[in-house]
Amino acid sequence: MNELMGFWGQWLRPSAGLPTVQWALLLAVASTCGYLVYRHTGLPKVVGYSIVGMVAGLLGFSGAQWPLQGIGLFIMELAISIVLFDAGGRIPWRWFRHNPMVLVQSIAESALTYFAVYWTMLWLNVPKEAAGPIALVAMAASPAVVSRVVADTRAAGPVTDRAMVLATLSTLYALTFGGAHAEMLSRPGSSFFEAVPPVLVMFGVSIVVGALLSGLIRVALRYMSPASENTSILALALIAASTAIAAHLGGSAPLAALIGGMLIKQLHVRPWALPRQFGTASSVLTMLMFVLVSTVAAQADWNLAIAGTVFTLIVVRLVAKALGVGIGNIGSGSSWRQSVWVGAAMMPMSSIALLIASQFMAASTATGEVISSIALPTILLMEVFGAVIATVALYRAGETHKPWAELPAAKSGDDQRES
Amino acid sequence: MSLEAFHHSEPLTLGVELELQLVNTHDYDLAPYAEDMLRLMHKTPLPGSVVPEMTNSMIEISTDVCHSCSEVLSQLTPIRDALVKSADKLNIAVVGGGTHPFQQWHERRIYDKPRFHELSALYGYLTKQFTIFGQHVHIGCPDADAALLMLHRMSRYIPHCIALSASSPYVQGQDTQFDSARLNSVFAFPLSGRAPCVLHWSEFETYFDKMTHTGVVKSMKDFYWDIRPKPEYGTIEIRVFDTPLTIERAAALAGYVQSLGAWFLHEQPFTPEEDDYLVYTYNRFQACRFGLDAVYVDPPTGTHMQLRDHILQTMDKIAPYAEAQGATGALQLLRADVEAGQNDARWLRDRQREEQMLAEVSRQASLKFRGA
Repeated sequence: MNELMGFWGQWLRPSAGLPTVQWALLLAVASTCGYLVYRHTGLPKVVGYSIVGMVAGLLGFSGAQWPLQGIGLFIMELAISIVLFDAGGRIPWRWFRHNPMVLVQSIAESALTYFAVYWTMLWLNVPKEAAGPIALVAMAASPAVVSRVVADTRAAGPVTDRAMVLATLSTLYALTFGGAHAEMLSRPGSSFFEAVPPVLVMFGVSIVVGALLSGLIRVALRYMSPASENTSILALALIAASTAIAAHLGGSAPLAALIGGMLIKQLHVRPWALPRQFGTASSVLTMLMFVLVSTVAAQADWNLAIAGTVFTLIVVRLVAKALGVGIGNIGSGSSWRQSVWVGAAMMPMSSIALLIASQFMAASTATGEVISSIALPTILLMEVFGAVIATVALYRAGETHKPWAELPAAKSGDDQRES
Repeated sequence: MSLEAFHHSEPLTLGVELELQLVNTHDYDLAPYAEDMLRLMHKTPLPGSVVPEMTNSMIEISTDVCHSCSEVLSQLTPIRDALVKSADKLNIAVVGGGTHPFQQWHERRIYDKPRFHELSALYGYLTKQFTIFGQHVHIGCPDADAALLMLHRMSRYIPHCIALSASSPYVQGQDTQFDSARLNSVFAFPLSGRAPCVLHWSEFETYFDKMTHTGVVKSMKDFYWDIRPKPEYGTIEIRVFDTPLTIERAAALAGYVQSLGAWFLHEQPFTPEEDDYLVYTYNRFQACRFGLDAVYVDPPTGTHMQLRDHILQTMDKIAPYAEAQGATGALQLLRADVEAGQNDARWLRDRQREEQMLAEVSRQASLKFRGA
């Protein structure tokens, strides 16, 4: 017997630990919940993932801590990078040459959102140092949520496409200005000129890593088919490497991935087929990201004052985004009705907003606490309800695979298939 | 409902309709942008018209009444340019071709128009499978009897029209081994194929009355024939062409039809008869399957020959009429391709052989359509 145990002892390895078990079970529950929500309501699976994460966070699940750090932060950055690389690859610059009003629409909605939220925060007596960052967090619509909603409802059309592009551009602005602002916040005593070099380093590293990423994938696409599984694995591996390098060298990993995606769209004019092949690996990461976001965001402290501020912020953001999309709609080739649904589809906030908030938290703990107290509940609510609003918008725009009127039939699960 | 009276039209005048694909510029799959394209196109004053088609990734353009194929091209050119401009504004692309090479029919959505919903309710999935793209050529006829005569004479040259325009080798991501797979989708509809061989309008009226009496037919629109009379325009409408990849080829095909029509009117070269149709379906199949390499069975003699040889022989016969109609250039363009064994289906296959990616073939086809 002793001999047998001695033999067995050679095979025992240190366990990955209880957190791994907890996370594995949490993902299993989230996956089931996502499926059931999708099958029985027609709402996207991301709603189920977020609800499970939210419940776990509210129950005090300790698997993810705010502010994000270590492996949790890397997983979040990697998942965002994959989403943003794909989203960046959907932005053809030539479109803005032919239709500059889309760019106007994007700048208008982002600028309006920033200033409307900023002034509202000041009006609600939020300190000036925190009002700016909160406005930047609110600026970013979530291409991650919108793309999941699009995938689950199998939507296609002008509203879908424009919502994706505008959400991605708003993310680009938020990451850029958020990164710069966080760098400056982390050097409170320094003058403007002293703060410029680190900001430039952050952008420089992000741009260089993004360019390197797109260059390497472009070279690979010369010899490999974009429809091949191996090409997808190569792209995923390169995105993972660039995420780690950009973060290590002081750049912004999501910004690098977004720039990489946008560059490759210009360098490689052929049709974009990589993301279709990204497959289950990226799906698992994305799901993990949504659960992580809501778990972390649910750790915020709620009170009546915070609830009032959060509610006001959400309403102001909704109005500002809709107004901005509407103002830029003139001459943009889109109808007024469509612009309303585009505005609504841009409601979700998720991982990118959380990451930007995390940057501010890392830059200044005191100000970061104030930012987090408002940003986290807002992100939590808009991850769940933003996804619902975006889904309704795409249904109402008539761009989903099944029309709105057929949703009750879908509840029976007769023809509700996995996408 | 009785048949509309056959209206007057100037003989040999032309009208061309082209059904076109709207694709996104991301993965070049079909994109549901018909409504947006129509909205933008209606802001530009243009000849002809732009209208929706069965599913919302399709659009149909048409010319006004034209007297020559060069006039057809002069009308199609500004329409094409406006389409390209509108598409650029919407970040989509417009593509010719008889089928989209890899679209999935079940993903299509019916355009929101009562007639399309009625057809969808009647034909079920066939309506979504009808996301195929054809060119229709109207040719003016002196009177109703002459129109029926023209129709049945033209039937002998249907294989020519198919082979010259074939541009639908790929369906649902697969090479069908047909040059024109599009017409197989049309064949699924009842009342498709050929018109009954009657040569007098009064007989045709009787036939139409009988059909309406059965309740199967309400109007001429319910006939999906390869060629059908269009009494409200005073024309016959040839419907077997795949939409070519360029408007230049579309205009050249119209010139070919006009030259054939001129030959028929001036020489009355033969009298059509029911027996012509003994080989009609076989010839049609051969042209769809093999394109210019098809075997053509001459209806009156039963002689077998290469379709491309028969096309060249016919071109020789109609050359003087082509010259009179100003269609010599059009015939030369087509002749050069026939001699080289080239049509749009061949071009698409060559591109796919080179690229190994149908989305890239669609992208290159979109560049070809815009004249790049």
